Amino acid sequence: MSPSAPYGKEVRIRIGGPAGFGIKAAGQTLARLFARAGYNTFDLTEYPSLIKGGHNTFHLRISEEEIFSHVMATDVLVALDAATVGLHVAELTRGGAIIFDPGDVAATDLDLAGRDDLCLVPIPLTDIVYEVGGIKIMRNVIALGAVLGHMDYPVEGLAESLRSQFAHKPPKIAEQNVAAAIAGWEAAREAPCAFPFHLAPRVDQPSTVVLDGNEALSLGALAAGIGMYAAYPMTPATSVLHVMAKHADSSGVVVKHTEDELAAINMCIGAAFGGTRTMCATSGGGFSLMVEALGFAGVSESAIVVGLLTRPGPATGLPTWTEQSDLRFAIHAAQGEFPRVILAPGDHAEAFELAWKAFNLADQLQTPVIILGDSYLSDNHQTITPPDVGAVTVDRGQLQTTGEVENYERYAVTPSGVSPRVLPGVIGAQQIVNSYEHDAHGWAAEDAETRVVQNTKRLKKERTARDLVPAPRFYGPPDAAVSILLFGTTKMPTLEAMKWLEAEGVSVNMMQLTTVWPFPTQEVNSYMERATRTLLIEGNATGQLEGLIREQCLREIGHRLNRTDGRPFSPEQIYSTVHCILGACVNLTTAGAVPDIEGGR
Amino acid sequence: MPEVKEFVSAIKPTWCPGCGNFGMWEALKRALAELGWEKHEFSVVWGIGCHGNGADFLDVQGMHALHGRSLPPAAALRLTRPDLQVVVEMGDGDGYGLGMGHFIHTVRRNSDITVIAHNNQIYGLTVGQASPTTDHLMPTVSTPGGVLEQPVNPIGLALAEGATFVARGFAGDIPHLTELYVRALSHKGFSLVDVFQPCVTWNKHNTFSWFRERVYKLEAEGWDTSDRVKAFELSLSGFHDLTCAADECRAPLGVYFEEQGVPTYEDGVPAAQVPGWSHASEPRDISSILAKMS
Repeated sequence: MSPSAPYGKEVRIRIGGPAGFGIKAAGQTLARLFARAGYNTFDLTEYPSLIKGGHNTFHLRISEEEIFSHVMATDVLVALDAATVGLHVAELTRGGAIIFDPGDVAATDLDLAGRDDLCLVPIPLTDIVYEVGGIKIMRNVIALGAVLGHMDYPVEGLAESLRSQFAHKPPKIAEQNVAAAIAGWEAAREAPCAFPFHLAPRVDQPSTVVLDGNEALSLGALAAGIGMYAAYPMTPATSVLHVMAKHADSSGVVVKHTEDELAAINMCIGAAFGGTRTMCATSGGGFSLMVEALGFAGVSESAIVVGLLTRPGPATGLPTWTEQSDLRFAIHAAQGEFPRVILAPGDHAEAFELAWKAFNLADQLQTPVIILGDSYLSDNHQTITPPDVGAVTVDRGQLQTTGEVENYERYAVTPSGVSPRVLPGVIGAQQIVNSYEHDAHGWAAEDAETRVVQNTKRLKKERTARDLVPAPRFYGPPDAAVSILLFGTTKMPTLEAMKWLEAEGVSVNMMQLTTVWPFPTQEVNSYMERATRTLLIEGNATGQLEGLIREQCLREIGHRLNRTDGRPFSPEQIYSTVHCILGACVNLTTAGAVPDIEGGR
Repeated sequence: MPEVKEFVSAIKPTWCPGCGNFGMWEALKRALAELGWEKHEFSVVWGIGCHGNGADFLDVQGMHALHGRSLPPAAALRLTRPDLQVVVEMGDGDGYGLGMGHFIHTVRRNSDITVIAHNNQIYGLTVGQASPTTDHLMPTVSTPGGVLEQPVNPIGLALAEGATFVARGFAGDIPHLTELYVRALSHKGFSLVDVFQPCVTWNKHNTFSWFRERVYKLEAEGWDTSDRVKAFELSLSGFHDLTCAADECRAPLGVYFEEQGVPTYEDGVPAAQVPGWSHASEPRDISSILAKMS
């Protein structure tokens, strides 16, 4: 079986080595460099839950064309240790390069799995570090220079990035790094084989931003006017706390790293009582601790936003990997019945959009709104058009913040189920925002009639929500050979695979559930009614969305693709699956190589 | 200025006749009236338990939170609403059991809130199990052989974590308790008033008369409230056990420790100086943040 061919319009680079070698930092420098040079980028960071050692990789895709996800193929493998070569040689495209340090391993000892088509680029990373008087972590910068040198790409942009990256340190540090990068760049140009294609900075490209899903979520929350963010660190949600903390003082956000997730969500409820837009975010474990308070927010009609950024469970599970197995958990979390909205952004742009919309929905409905993401969204960066801040609106629903009120009833019964909200501090706004069942004023009530009246009033908001929540999104032609259903981040590799399939003339369409609760029953029914063959893709073992469709729509899915190994779906996998469904399985050349496609690719 | 009776809600209290909660309810109403706090100038947050049923009996702008979780919402309300004073009413099982983590962390932040602990040394609402402050070796329905743990020392814990106002009251002495509340509510920074609140139904040991034989007032003895270490020693002596005679185990009432001028958590948070809702009147301009991401 031969390796796949390189593709002339994009380059895929993988940097691998132990944790603590500056792999992610180096990769992000490279991503930003190419994004500024007018390329589209997508990066995938894979790492175990440890600080030093193990095997980390950073996979960067750089393309002239619009791209939607990572791919499995690699054109340039940067091996910061010898083990990286053996682990990734299979994914190298024909003529692909391996940048390695002959001080780590001799070229003759590299584990090439019998391949003779590869270009070996020996760069004495450690020797160069000492030549420029630097420290060992700078091997990553030398490797970056070597990547650019191998691709015949000018080194000036990298030098500039390094100078700005180290601007806060003594000038000597920046200059050492620049010298290291240039030395790596020059060494790579002496390599015996030429890179199959030439990259150069592109001109007149529209401006972009490079951000990961957590940054996109944070920006959406900031734009929405968040006033308090409370959280306890948990992968992959942690960096939302960092972003919020960084901008807390300049943006006017109270940011609290709490003693636990119980405190985080209960703080949100307290802040919401005072009228502040508020959010907490965590992963499944932390969300487990938040469950009781989620119900408190439901019964007390508190407007809070909860980020649930999932990873494989149960319990501690696989902390740094990805999975979509908390869908049912999000829908059913907490005892009793109360309305909730669950939004599932499919990519970075949607993370921004659904984050600010979540705050409006929480205020309009006075009930918790969950943003359901996962590690694939949180951790990985994508080049996107800058978020449309002009589109952001603030709708606080029925809210009185100041002044005076008479005969106020916090939980007055209304046709929509939403009661006018008057904040503490308003003269006359006596009320009890209550975790008990309560009457219209908020006083605890156990009589049968009040219970039914208030419970019914709250649940009415779920019907009200149906007219407010983002509708499902559809991609591809209205009629197609295969109709894909999915929620969340699986959108990204699916769009990528659809692009390849379209180029082959295979018609595929996709329905993405941006709101997974309230469940878009009618829309799913209509879509499935029209579909020739259905394929449901979700990152869990038990078919949670599939079960929901069966339950809500009384319909059976035709084909399914599930994944639970902690790795994200790859477009290659989805592409192959579609072909198999159509009766002509494409045997991909390696576990992850990009298929050779005639015509468009 | 509201009168005492204006704080009484339309709901008739459902506590057992003679319950210590009545005295605490009365003292708080009196303190609020004495301070002249208007109902829109403060909020009260309750946890769950017999004390929490009091949420229905006070006419205020308040929140009845989850069991053990009164402190986080209260602290967040204070952080995001600088225009509101915040009072917490919590129970001993509620605040020192389930909520112990929140208690310690709220104390060490010097959050500018007043915490009133209804300490009846028993679980009342769930009918008589041992609480974190139940006396050593006391038999209860959940500990028929007697409680094997030492009771939690809330005064000592608060002092150890840097609390800036720590006091103990007794539900059987309403005028004195009112005084303590007035001082605690006036204090800038975290203030704790742990109140001996006899449970007449489930705690047959720590009764009103049991306390009356033991309590004495610190201020009457010229207690120096500025010495944290001495206050901590006093908190240890405040322990009592089942066999201890009244003249040996005396229970001090009053302000153990007080320190003025310590910056509060809110002081250190620039965003906490205006009401949180004021940030969301229109979309926030994030262009300068976006510019750094290109």
